[in-house]
Amino acid sequence: MVRDLYMFSKIDKEAEVVWFKITYENTVRSEADITSFFAENGLDIRFAYLDSSEDPSKGKYVMFTEVEKNKDIKSIADKLGKMDVVLNLDWGFSKNRAIQTVEFPLHLLGERAIIIRVKTFVNILNIINENAPQSEGLLTMIGLKSGTGVVQYFRDMVDVNDNNFLDLLKELFMASGWGTLDYEMNTVDKTGTLRVTDSFIADEYEGSDVPKCAYMSGFFAGYISESLDTTVQVRETICKSMGNAFCEHQVSPAPKDVKIEHLHKGE
Amino acid sequence: MIRQPNAIVGNDRLLVTVGKKGEIFGYYFPGRDFAQHVEESQACLHDGKGLIWSNAREWVADQKYIENTNIIITELVHPSGLVMHITDFVHPALPVLVRKYKISSKKKFSGKFFYYSNFQVGEMNKKNSAFCDYNSGLLGQYWKNYHVGISSSPMFQEWQIGKAMDTIWWTNAKYDMEDGELQGNLEDIGDLNCSIGWKLDIDDSKPAEFTVFIGAASKRPALYKRMRQVQNETIENMYNETQEKWIKWLSKKKHLEIPEYLGFKAFRQDLFKGFNRSLLALSVLSDSSKGSFVAAPEFDHGFEKSGGYGYCWNRDTAEVVTSLLEAGYPEYCSRFFKWCKTTQLQDGSWFQRYWLDGNTAPSWGNFSFSTQIDETGSTIFAMDSFYRTLQQPMKAEFLDSMWATVICAAEYLMRRSSKGLHEHCICLWETFGGVFTYTNAAVYAGLMGAANMARDYNEKGLADRWTQRAEFIKSTTIDKLWLDEGYFARGIIHGKIDTAIDASIIGTFVPFNMLSASDKKEKMMIESMINNIEEQLRVPVNNHFGIKRYVDDKYIDGNPWIVTTLWLSKALLEIAITIDDKDNGKEEIKTLTNAALKYIQWSLKGATGAGMLPEQVNKYTGSPAWAIPLGWSCALMLDNILLLDKLLKKRSDKNV
Repeated sequence: MVRDLYMFSKIDKEAEVVWFKITYENTVRSEADITSFFAENGLDIRFAYLDSSEDPSKGKYVMFTEVEKNKDIKSIADKLGKMDVVLNLDWGFSKNRAIQTVEFPLHLLGERAIIIRVKTFVNILNIINENAPQSEGLLTMIGLKSGTGVVQYFRDMVDVNDNNFLDLLKELFMASGWGTLDYEMNTVDKTGTLRVTDSFIADEYEGSDVPKCAYMSGFFAGYISESLDTTVQVRETICKSMGNAFCEHQVSPAPKDVKIEHLHKGE
Repeated sequence: MIRQPNAIVGNDRLLVTVGKKGEIFGYYFPGRDFAQHVEESQACLHDGKGLIWSNAREWVADQKYIENTNIIITELVHPSGLVMHITDFVHPALPVLVRKYKISSKKKFSGKFFYYSNFQVGEMNKKNSAFCDYNSGLLGQYWKNYHVGISSSPMFQEWQIGKAMDTIWWTNAKYDMEDGELQGNLEDIGDLNCSIGWKLDIDDSKPAEFTVFIGAASKRPALYKRMRQVQNETIENMYNETQEKWIKWLSKKKHLEIPEYLGFKAFRQDLFKGFNRSLLALSVLSDSSKGSFVAAPEFDHGFEKSGGYGYCWNRDTAEVVTSLLEAGYPEYCSRFFKWCKTTQLQDGSWFQRYWLDGNTAPSWGNFSFSTQIDETGSTIFAMDSFYRTLQQPMKAEFLDSMWATVICAAEYLMRRSSKGLHEHCICLWETFGGVFTYTNAAVYAGLMGAANMARDYNEKGLADRWTQRAEFIKSTTIDKLWLDEGYFARGIIHGKIDTAIDASIIGTFVPFNMLSASDKKEKMMIESMINNIEEQLRVPVNNHFGIKRYVDDKYIDGNPWIVTTLWLSKALLEIAITIDDKDNGKEEIKTLTNAALKYIQWSLKGATGAGMLPEQVNKYTGSPAWAIPLGWSCALMLDNILLLDKLLKKRSDKNV
């Protein structure tokens, strides 16, 4: 996942922030030539990324720079646009010193995505918990749907099998900032333990009496059930929000002919 | 969740609202207002790979009523060649919805037909209990004394009862359907959903038919009895009886001729259809055992974007029952006024709105300053309109039974209008607080109506006193609220004249007859009001104009309303009827009639595909926008068509 974001905490308070989005012909020297051009023209690169993985013949180079006020950026951009390796150029000023993205709309796992602060997401969960009846069930259902959808997306890109599905999930967790995932899973009897360190949900709570990551349990249940083509239940037994060092979710096959009331009674 | 229906079906004991694709949006039993038992209820196919829900985007839907009945036909066509044909009606006598599905396919299709429901019996999404009594072919769900059941013909082959919202998600009937097999759980408690299923093997020459019955009762044995009864009847028989019942009911209506009229020949049939559909819709909105009506079937249960509509307002119902009276159904008046007798408050007024059983409904008008005085005026005015149509001895009996109600209401109006304008209250739109032209006209009409009944009751003193006050209100309203610009101000708000134009000022003419088109000066005032309303409140959409309520109306985007538009056309027709059909009169009548017809045509265009009149028409798209069907809109449609018929007949008689 590419983060085309730059949080503007300007080093030089008097400077202006200028962004460039360059589509270039992919040669071994292209990136170096472009970077050199910036240095030669006094454009101080603060944040940048490049990506030539989608189409080997072309690359995308996005950079955010700080430049002194009143510098003639247009002339520099014109020169940049005329470089042999540059196929297309967009550029602009960021006036508001807030957040700037030059990629719109964002995409994640094949779908339109937005970026949301953990605090905002957890606020939504809290409002659901406080106001919706059977909120744990509701959050499980939401997570379930997301988890199932992720596997379906992965299947379009890679062969998802019993050996790699949890590794894929681990990478996804890290890349999306949800936490770090460790697991022990027996794919034959469908049992296992998923340990999440720094869960983005649990991190927002302190001193809770009950586990808080029902959404994540639902996500795991959907992800594993879809991957293994069998129905599993996932329950969070240890949660960081309750003072533990990490969160732990237990995976087991869904019991047949057992009702929730009986589960609660320990039958 | 707010969902606007496209059609409704019902009988005296059940009201059901239906979406464009045959989804059940509301299932009301035993009242039209409470309880609403369904969160979701619709069909779904499984093609061996996945589910195809009947409300999925791919289906192209066409929904209409069988003419002159409350029977809906919904046809859904899927790009894969599947066709789902649904016939919906409520049993002629029982509170049972009959849903007949015919599934056909251009190519061979092997899979399942499921019928999924998420019942929240008693409007409760918890503490429900459900069971499948397979031997009786019944899947039942209940909460306290509310019981809802599903059975079918042929008998369903598999089922699931599961938790609709729980961490044990694999029991959820919706998820259970995904693999094409149902688990067959026999019973459960909590927040539940359920599904029943059949094998489906069809091709071009071999369609399949399944009929689902959804019944309701107050006790379990009664539910069993009802469901057994429908299982033992043929679908064809139930259908024919239902059709016959509605055609018979409709045959009582006042005979319409609507003589041919230049330029509107093709539109004539639409008028007949619009008239019948409005009557049929009103019949289902009425609680015939109590006499009250819901303003519209409730669609905003959580009061998310409005205060809700599933209650009885005297203002709306007064217009509804007088329209039904004119249309040939006087029994709605007598039942409603009996209801009014029991619901009148101690001070003689009526509350903002009621549950249909007469209990006061959730309200933002609990104080004398926040009540809506026009509702008391409207009620007495309508009561007198009905009274005038009665023959002896019913006339005297009616007055005897109502006199205490009349005197209390009239004295309330007297107490609240001593200075010639009513005291502070809330306007008819339930938006502004102050003194209003419309409300003064309603008080005027109420007092004049009460005075008429008092004269017949040998209470000349009271009659004179009430008439005198009514005349005082009229002169004060004209004196203080008529503007040089040629229309009434909306009223007095925060002590100042509010000159904003409001379509309700036409209430001084229709319905309340404070101004008369037979008086030359008053006719000019009426015409001037109409011109100003048209000029300032017209909203262009659907190739003509609808009329919005007032300038800067913020409620649901400030759309044009059917009621305000049809008030205007009604006013135009009322003027036309009073004009002498000689010399210049002919041309004037023609101009007024044409203008009215365009508004009526516009209003019918704003109806749903099935012909339901909404409260509003979306100002951008021209589609029905809110509160479907609205009884008040239906009432105004009846009034307009009856007036048009009267006018055209009068002209046609003269031409003969």
